[in-house]
Amino acid sequence: MNLVALLIAVVVGGALFLLTRRIQAGQEVGLRPLRGIQALTSQVGRAVESGRRVHFSMGRAALNSSIAPTSLAALAALDHLAQDGCASDVPPVVTVGEGTLLPAAQDQLRGAYTQAGRAGDFSNTMVEFVASDTSPMSYAAGVSYTVQHSNAGSNLLMGHFGPEIGIILEAAGRQDMEQIVGSDDPVALAVGAAMSDELLIGEELFAAGAYMKGSPSQIASLQVQDLLRLIVVAAILVFAVINLL
Amino acid sequence: MHIFQRTIPRILAVLFGIVTLVLLGIASAESGQLTGWASFLAAVALILGIINLFSVHLRRGFRGNFYSLVLVIALAATLVLGFTGLYGGKDTVFTYVQAPLEAALGALLAFFLFFAALRLLHRKHNRWTVLFVATVILILLGITPMPAFLSEIFASVNYFISLVFVSAGMRGILIGVALGTITVTLRLLLGSEQPYNK
Repeated sequence: MNLVALLIAVVVGGALFLLTRRIQAGQEVGLRPLRGIQALTSQVGRAVESGRRVHFSMGRAALNSSIAPTSLAALAALDHLAQDGCASDVPPVVTVGEGTLLPAAQDQLRGAYTQAGRAGDFSNTMVEFVASDTSPMSYAAGVSYTVQHSNAGSNLLMGHFGPEIGIILEAAGRQDMEQIVGSDDPVALAVGAAMSDELLIGEELFAAGAYMKGSPSQIASLQVQDLLRLIVVAAILVFAVINLL
Repeated sequence: MHIFQRTIPRILAVLFGIVTLVLLGIASAESGQLTGWASFLAAVALILGIINLFSVHLRRGFRGNFYSLVLVIALAATLVLGFTGLYGGKDTVFTYVQAPLEAALGALLAFFLFFAALRLLHRKHNRWTVLFVATVILILLGITPMPAFLSEIFASVNYFISLVFVSAGMRGILIGVALGTITVTLRLLLGSEQPYNK
């Protein structure tokens, strides 16, 4: 079984590599508009224009866990937000709910400050570790406090969250912040549907980096995802028909 | 300098990623050795996190923030209890402080969600909002004690919604997440995604 998985990884990796090379060679790729991403960019733009910071919380998926790609997708979005924010002198307020996310987020923010030519202004305490992933309610309580006292204009929660996200959304809602939730967890998304302005549902979270930054490999990965999705849908239909017969 | 900051981390990340993946296919015990190293690094990162928490709140505490001072004192007290084992050690803090507080927050969450559903009707006037709230009400009715004939009707509606719509939606989301996970992981293995290289 493991060898089959390895073979699939090689085939899909090969497809990703070839599509990346084609885009690097100049192939144009049109991206379909996603409401959540459009809302994200305009919301961040409004906050930056009004001189208010953006609060960005990355959830609690460890980088050494099986759900690490969710945190990597959030890091890709943070990369873009941090560059925009640092260039406009309103860097994001970043909170994390897991130890391995702290150095990763600090590195993104440090990189953004360096690109803006203000490396000296960066401090490690600009990213706040709130609680470990084993205490989701403590994490929610700590982030709520930061949200209420950061004078941020926008609240972005991207990463792995559970139902505790409701506490953070309630705290930000009391401050009249615009809010966007992007998560891989159906429960967090259900809570987000009731309490936030816009959602990045599942794969839209993984697409955020491609839409915001648009590097060839990120766009190629969207093409691979579309291809894989077609294969999965076809397989589901075939197995459904076989079961009916 | 570029070679130490960019090239070597990239080569190491790709090399260890591919070696772990290949070992997972042919020799999972050796693959476990590598992931064990990652767990050790994660434990070190947690210590960095605690230092970050302490320094952020100590600074705020010196500026006069009462809650940050409480946090710093509680952190120091828990460390002392944990190391010395006095008054039952850290278990006392978890049993009598953290567990009740987390349970209280969990209970509050139910009220937050209830009022959020009501506010949603004021905030967004569209058919999806009505559908969302109507589904919530139907599900709640399905788990509420009622006369037998009503209970059976609502329970079967609840079962149908959970089995068909909720399962389909959740599977759709999870398939999308799985596809995203695959492509992010492969970008890391190909060295085109470098979150460690800013």
